[in-house]
Amino acid sequence: MELVSKEIKWVCDKCQEELVIEKVTAKYLEGSFEVELHKCPKCKMVFISEDLALGKMLEVEKGLEDK
Amino acid sequence: MDLDAILEIGNQCIHSEPPVCVASCPVHMDVIGFITEIQKKDFVKAYKIMENRIPFARLIGKICDHPCETNCVRKNAGESIRISELEKIVVNLGYMPPKKPLPLPKNKGKVAVIGGGLSGLSAAIELDKKGYQVTIYEKSNRLGGSFWDYAGKELELSVIEEELSIIEKKGIAVYYNTQVTADKLKEYFDQYDALYLGTASWEEKLNINPQTFQVNDTALFAGGKLQTDGDSLIYTYSTGKRAAVSIDRFINKTAMLASREREGIFQTKLDFKVDKVAASEPVEKTADIYLADEAVEEAKRCLKCQCNDCYNVCAHMQRFNITPDSYIRNINHNERIILGTHHANDMINACTECGLCKVVCPVDIGMQDIIHETRRSMVERGKMPQSAHDFALKDMNYSNSDYFSFVRKQPSKEASKELFYYPTIAFSGYARGLYKGSGKTGYLFYPGCQLSSTHTDYIGDIYKHLVDVIKDKDADNDVGLYLGCCGAPADWAGRNDLMNESVEKIRKAWEEMEEPTFILACSSCSATFKKYLPMIKTISLWEVLEKYGLPKIEVKPGRRVFNVHDACATRENASIHESIRNIVKTLGHTIEEFEFSKEKAKCCGYGGLVSYANKEQACDFVEDRKEESDHDILVYCAMCKDSIVKGNKRAYHILDLIYGNEIDQNEPQTMPTLSQRQNNRKRLKHTLLKEIWKEDDQMSAEINYDFTLHIPDEIVTIMEERFILLSDISKVIDNAIKNKERFYNPQTKQYLSRLRIQNVTFWVQYVSEGSDIFVKDVYSHRMEVVER
Repeated sequence: MELVSKEIKWVCDKCQEELVIEKVTAKYLEGSFEVELHKCPKCKMVFISEDLALGKMLEVEKGLEDK
Repeated sequence: MDLDAILEIGNQCIHSEPPVCVASCPVHMDVIGFITEIQKKDFVKAYKIMENRIPFARLIGKICDHPCETNCVRKNAGESIRISELEKIVVNLGYMPPKKPLPLPKNKGKVAVIGGGLSGLSAAIELDKKGYQVTIYEKSNRLGGSFWDYAGKELELSVIEEELSIIEKKGIAVYYNTQVTADKLKEYFDQYDALYLGTASWEEKLNINPQTFQVNDTALFAGGKLQTDGDSLIYTYSTGKRAAVSIDRFINKTAMLASREREGIFQTKLDFKVDKVAASEPVEKTADIYLADEAVEEAKRCLKCQCNDCYNVCAHMQRFNITPDSYIRNINHNERIILGTHHANDMINACTECGLCKVVCPVDIGMQDIIHETRRSMVERGKMPQSAHDFALKDMNYSNSDYFSFVRKQPSKEASKELFYYPTIAFSGYARGLYKGSGKTGYLFYPGCQLSSTHTDYIGDIYKHLVDVIKDKDADNDVGLYLGCCGAPADWAGRNDLMNESVEKIRKAWEEMEEPTFILACSSCSATFKKYLPMIKTISLWEVLEKYGLPKIEVKPGRRVFNVHDACATRENASIHESIRNIVKTLGHTIEEFEFSKEKAKCCGYGGLVSYANKEQACDFVEDRKEESDHDILVYCAMCKDSIVKGNKRAYHILDLIYGNEIDQNEPQTMPTLSQRQNNRKRLKHTLLKEIWKEDDQMSAEINYDFTLHIPDEIVTIMEERFILLSDISKVIDNAIKNKERFYNPQTKQYLSRLRIQNVTFWVQYVSEGSDIFVKDVYSHRMEVVER
């Protein structure tokens, strides 16, 4: 599933860099996965949108909690 | 957790226990299913249900002696449902000619049936169905026995003939005009694997087992009129069917008696009460038998007897459409599953553990303890979803931290002269110098965390009142104060570890204070103390106020009418119920009792931490309460008030009445937010220590940020929904400003920043104007994203 939309207007405020889509590791309880998310190419800060946090991410969290 | 033991409890649940009509039907026709189809006007399906249990339903349906109707519970509220009349119309309108039977191999054995009457035919049909090669020996020239007694009357001749022709169509061999004697029978023993004797009489007396219909452990089985007095046609008929089961087991050498306790007529454990059912008389026939519409109307009178006593009073069971029998099976599965999803987690965390199910259960089954044990087991096995109770447990931790918790003895007389009223007229003991103050702490006022969070300003006043009235009447006992949380959230969350910590802390304080009586203002505290701290003597604040008198406050003349919503945790504490009602009466108000009050109190939805784990479920509980109430609701538990007010129903805490605080009827009533509640607790400690004990509280100092937060109402609502605190937002913004850890959107000029606090990452979207921060959005997630 596509977790990030290609177009994003946010930039990293510290590095003044445009965000890039890269594989990052997300962990919860016993689960660990690689997902493609927007991040700052320099400081590596990862951008999580509200839709992602309350949508797919929450769904996965719940799924892992009930495992 | 002893799953076998709880499964046994589940087996005792009588939800699936058959109604008395089915239990008293020798062949157990599904009367409720039958009635339901008639209600839907589906006579064909209704007939299929009859046929399912009764071969020759087309005949039996017209002549059955209907013991079901004799025992129908409806007779205690009007008259029995006319089941037999309904059967007649169903036969007329729902009978469909049978499909051509599939020729099945008859290779399981050979059975001879002697006598082609009712019981013989039913034995033959059943054995044929089971795969036996059946031969009927009939002494007359036709099958059917007593069916012919009804020919030309209840049964049409042609219909009897048509129905009986089924026997030969099935391939069952019939020898007519064959009288079988005892001698002949002996020969059959060699030719057949088993014999069924269904004749009207027999030459010698037979010793027939009433359960198996077997004669003396031989291959001979006998039923029908030989076994019964022949009074009940349907019973006679059923003996053949039951003997067929025995014959099958006999030939296959399986246990003859296993799982047959409920064959035939049996006593159901269901005792369906009709005391609240409006009486109704049967629909009268306008012709010989019911017309279709009349049948539908008559069917509607059926009460569909089933025990749903707990389900009917519980918003939780209703939401999950479940009763204890299947609930317990689900728990069992959820506990035993090793790989795969624990589907019952949500359900288990949506029970308020209020205990009402047990109160209304005719067989004393309660889910409260089972749910509690299950949650403990989930925690122990590491299977409790973290998100369910995380916020509540953090909040409990806050309550038991130095931000809120403290314990103090009553200040000395010298130190509190300005605070408490010490009269100088020398007629009372303490004024003559007998009252020393700060001596023995006889009482410890323990208001609890929630009342302190939402009704903060009453706490100091109550404490001062308690000191005043108790020193007046019970001078030997000072009143101390103890702020903290009893641990109820840990108990609800199944957290034994945290519960023990909490209990230990309280026990220690109690010992250090020389074992005072705790004055409790919270119903959950009462329940927790009773369960975990039985050595501590407790009394409810309400009983104390009733005994020693209410604060002398000018209150508006009463005469208001309230519905009292009793706290479910006080279910077994009748003295609290009484004190509350007496106080309300003293204040001049009137109470209109809910049907579900006192020992039958319904939960507000907070119990069991349901308002944290499953908000929709918590709302169901409030809606349920609202439905029953015609007036403003009066509560004496801070959580109850919170739940009810959030459900948009006006609620007074009894302290609102005692202290004369009217609620503005023109404004929507609100409760403090989660953040305000924490702040209120901190403020309470600070205020009390300063005012009463002249102490400075180091913990109450505000953290000073160099920005000002502006949070619109709609964001406050979101914060409440998502369990996000003002302090979380402040930390995120502070980090964003100090470390520039934030994203910026040049188009909207908004910032978006995140900070992980313990096990949650909080995100805040905001606009910054100088030191003013305008919050636009907040959200969080538990998943940790590795930034590298």
